Amino acid sequence: MAKRVKFKLNGTEVEADEGRLVIDAAKDAGVEIPHYCYHPALGNPGNCRMCIVEVAGAPKPQVSCRLPVKEGLDVKSDSPAAKRAQASALELHLVNHPLDCPVCDQSGECGLQDYYMKIGRYQSQVREDKQHKGKRVEAGPHVMLDQERCILCTRCTRFVDDVTKTHELGIFRRGHTEAVELTPGKVLDNDYSGNVVDICPVGALTDRDFRYQVRVWYLDKTDSVCPGCSRGCNISIHTNTKRTWHNQGHRVARLKPRHSEVNGYWMCDEGRYGYRPLDEGRLGKVLRLTPERAELSWEAAAVELAARLKDGGSKGLAVAASGMLSNEDWAALKDLFPAAKLYFTAEPDQVGAEDALLKRREKVPNLKGAEALGLKSGSFDDLAKDLESGKVSGLWIVERDLTKVWGAERAKALIGKAGFSVFQGPNKGGTGELASYRLPATAYAEETGRFTNFEGRVQEYRKALDPIGSARPDHEIFGLVKAALTGAALEAAA
Amino acid sequence: MSVKAPTKSPFTPEQETTLAGWTKRYPHSNLGLVEALRSVQGWHRQITPEAAARVAEVFDLPFNRVWGVATFFPTFTQWKTGRHRVGLCHGLSCWLAGSTKMESCLEKTLGVAEKTTTADGKFSWETMECLGACEQAPALQVNDRLVGAATEASVVKLKDLK
Amino acid sequence: MTLVLTKHFAEPKLHELETYRRLGGYKALEKALGLPRAAILEEVKTSNLRGLGGAGFPTGMKWSTVPPEDKVPGPRYVVVNCDESEPGCYKDRVLVERDPHQLIEGLLIASYVIGSKDSFIFIRGEYQTQYEILEKALDEARKAGLVGKDILGKGFDCDILLMRGAGAYISGLDTALLETMEGKKAWPRQPPPFPTVAGLMAKPTVVNNVETLSMLPHIVENGGEWFAKLGVPKSGGTLLLSISGHVEKPGVYEFPMGVKLRDALAAAGGVRAGHKLKGVIPGGTSMPPLMEKDLDIALDFDSVRAAGTFLGAGGMIVLDETADAVEVAHNIERFLAHESCGQCTPCREGSFWTEEILERVLHGDGVPADLENLPRVGENITGRVICALGDTVGMVIRGYMTRYPDDFKKRISNGQKG
Repeated sequence: MAKRVKFKLNGTEVEADEGRLVIDAAKDAGVEIPHYCYHPALGNPGNCRMCIVEVAGAPKPQVSCRLPVKEGLDVKSDSPAAKRAQASALELHLVNHPLDCPVCDQSGECGLQDYYMKIGRYQSQVREDKQHKGKRVEAGPHVMLDQERCILCTRCTRFVDDVTKTHELGIFRRGHTEAVELTPGKVLDNDYSGNVVDICPVGALTDRDFRYQVRVWYLDKTDSVCPGCSRGCNISIHTNTKRTWHNQGHRVARLKPRHSEVNGYWMCDEGRYGYRPLDEGRLGKVLRLTPERAELSWEAAAVELAARLKDGGSKGLAVAASGMLSNEDWAALKDLFPAAKLYFTAEPDQVGAEDALLKRREKVPNLKGAEALGLKSGSFDDLAKDLESGKVSGLWIVERDLTKVWGAERAKALIGKAGFSVFQGPNKGGTGELASYRLPATAYAEETGRFTNFEGRVQEYRKALDPIGSARPDHEIFGLVKAALTGAALEAAA
Repeated sequence: MSVKAPTKSPFTPEQETTLAGWTKRYPHSNLGLVEALRSVQGWHRQITPEAAARVAEVFDLPFNRVWGVATFFPTFTQWKTGRHRVGLCHGLSCWLAGSTKMESCLEKTLGVAEKTTTADGKFSWETMECLGACEQAPALQVNDRLVGAATEASVVKLKDLK
Repeated sequence: MTLVLTKHFAEPKLHELETYRRLGGYKALEKALGLPRAAILEEVKTSNLRGLGGAGFPTGMKWSTVPPEDKVPGPRYVVVNCDESEPGCYKDRVLVERDPHQLIEGLLIASYVIGSKDSFIFIRGEYQTQYEILEKALDEARKAGLVGKDILGKGFDCDILLMRGAGAYISGLDTALLETMEGKKAWPRQPPPFPTVAGLMAKPTVVNNVETLSMLPHIVENGGEWFAKLGVPKSGGTLLLSISGHVEKPGVYEFPMGVKLRDALAAAGGVRAGHKLKGVIPGGTSMPPLMEKDLDIALDFDSVRAAGTFLGAGGMIVLDETADAVEVAHNIERFLAHESCGQCTPCREGSFWTEEILERVLHGDGVPADLENLPRVGENITGRVICALGDTVGMVIRGYMTRYPDDFKKRISNGQKG
């Protein structure tokens, strides 16, 4: 445990761990000291000189990102001298900045704009031509580089050197001729490349996926958890519902990592750009497909399905689910199907590459949630065998595209062998056409729920968007059927 | 531009030996990097990404670090200098002694602009920061030798170099 | 007058070991190796020797910040900074080419005191001739048992390794020099820790200038008190000035520390014939000039500082009335902008902006606001940057504008030379 000490910040006594950087201790105390180069996960090179503060007894101002707290330290970040020093550092950052904010995606969340309004507000004295450097450098599949906007804070180069250790970017040459550039022959295509956009405090590194789509001030931001693997990286879903004609009509504009113990400051590109299928082939109607196609109300569907369940009994019933389900969904599933055989393991359709940083092998967020409830999964091979031999009276498919498990032809044949079948999920996928019932479920971005990550950490994700059509969370759907089932039982008893 | 670790070294076997030698000269291999790049500049009269990539391999360092060093220091060029690389000091003492006039003299005599190499590859010239020969202003450096108190005549005499 | 470093400069073959030894060379090393290390450190402290590479930091004090071996075990290094690159400075070049063994002897004494088994001479790449002289001198010394294992049979091992720079002025700053040595861009570090605690490869490292180390044999031989008495209080010994610019006899001259500016000028033959003194840059172009009224000030670290500038590394450039302050300031700011390493924003952007404004002013496109803006930009750099290079960007422009306001005003109001 670090020793707690007292120091003075802007005249107020503050307590902090001894040795904690003043810039961090100030933030803890609610005082934001301007900075560009410092990043808690990337170190404190002290090159931007923005976080300069006055220190009693020091001959010249100090950068607070390299100043450790000690007992009795007397720091002023808001004195006239400190503010003047911060403003002058800002002015020098802007001497060669192109000021092309009207066409810059960073507008609205740009460190230069923000600090100019907070501590700048001066008349420019620049009479010289701006320096010209590369404006549209395709750094990699996800990232666009604008060297003119770059303030050379080195965050991105430190990221590729220290975090991914892939070294695709560097600061080459020197003095006013230097620029962030691709290392010759390299492309910024590592599995975490999107993070350089997040850490870039200006518009030098922008997201090609988000480029020119929608202004950031139209976006709503909701805390969520990435469903892309069992890590459960904390994210923020940025949605565009105020300017629906922008962003090519897509509701989700981008995903951003949210700082947490789980993922630090980062997320992988797979997760970041994995939101695109969210609105593909969405289901909004409650449908009976066979024998007679009809749109049903939830109540009617619940009654019909309850009847089927009673017919088939829970004996011979199989449920094919996926780790996409929330803890609430798993609980409701267990409640509805106490005796059914369950199948939810991650098959090749849901496994992928893992690494030492964040990425986990299981590409679904919540297998652990099922495990925590004591649910056991059979193998999909056994399910196929049981279907083949006609042992399955009913097959309830929850958020799992079986065509990706078994292939389209085989899935079609196998599902057809079940007495009856239900497909429940947000997206139609290949399986949506194969079942006898199709129930629209909400996507994770449309519901509030909990995932239990691979470490057993239960994390809440929040509703960022309204459901499509009649879609409901899986656990509500299970609840409706359960009610119909018990209601029917009561009726029968009466 | 593709400069993935060249399958064929851009260096001769003798040069490879020299490079390996720089990795062993000092208590840590990294300490030999700048000297190794000086050797490369001497051999190739420039440092290309391919050459720097090979040096990075030899020193077991990330390529972006080596490329950073190769582009940082003025001794290293990313353009091919002449066989005779002429530097004209334009530090204050040399400037007071008329280095500006010597610039036009070099351009006229060698027939090329600054940081450009003659068609035969023989000469290139460039202004350099203080060469540490202020008492002999204006100072010229021809390859790695100092030519003090340069005059138009001494520039013309450069043409006699083989 | 007592000459210390240049005493034997008249000897034609001083750079050869035989000559150096005939004149008493390496006696001080022999004496030092018979003394306790602490005793030599005390002598160096008594001598009031101050770093002659520009900063003027007391050498003994620097050495005593090296943590003792029982606290921080493992190697420690002494590095000679022979990367002098500031316009006006060339004394180290002369010291190395005329008397390389004086430096080697001094380095060995320092290495003995610090406990360095591998010491380095980092020399700027442009000094190829001097590099070769050092190489040869080291060969001779190695063969004579003066460098390497069991030096002079006294059980002290120390090798000396040479290393060349690659043309960056900033490499002359101690921490940037260490970065260069480690095969990185010469981006200065930000102490703490200071190099004496964590320097080369994070080991305790003393970086000393050529002139500073060349003084050591004489201090060991004659005692710290003798050396202190040669100079002024708080700054012992003698001072080398490399004089150039508008003087009759440019060259390196040795004076007692605290010599009058007037006398130093006279030694170099005075301002060139038929011209009037405009100013004297005392320590290299980073230092604002002294003026005619300053002719009677003493040239030592503290007196020059009191006169509003710095003694630096003794690179004295004399300006006569033909030198226009705007052009001179532009030349220096152009140099600083070119040599700015680019690590911190105020220096990278501010030095180049200053150069560009001056360039515009020189082209006759100055505006009255430049008179306010130039010193303002300078003020916004100095004291807010990582290293001393940035500090000088502001110091220089402000220095010239306050000393020669008319040159700037005239240039801006009518585009004419002042």
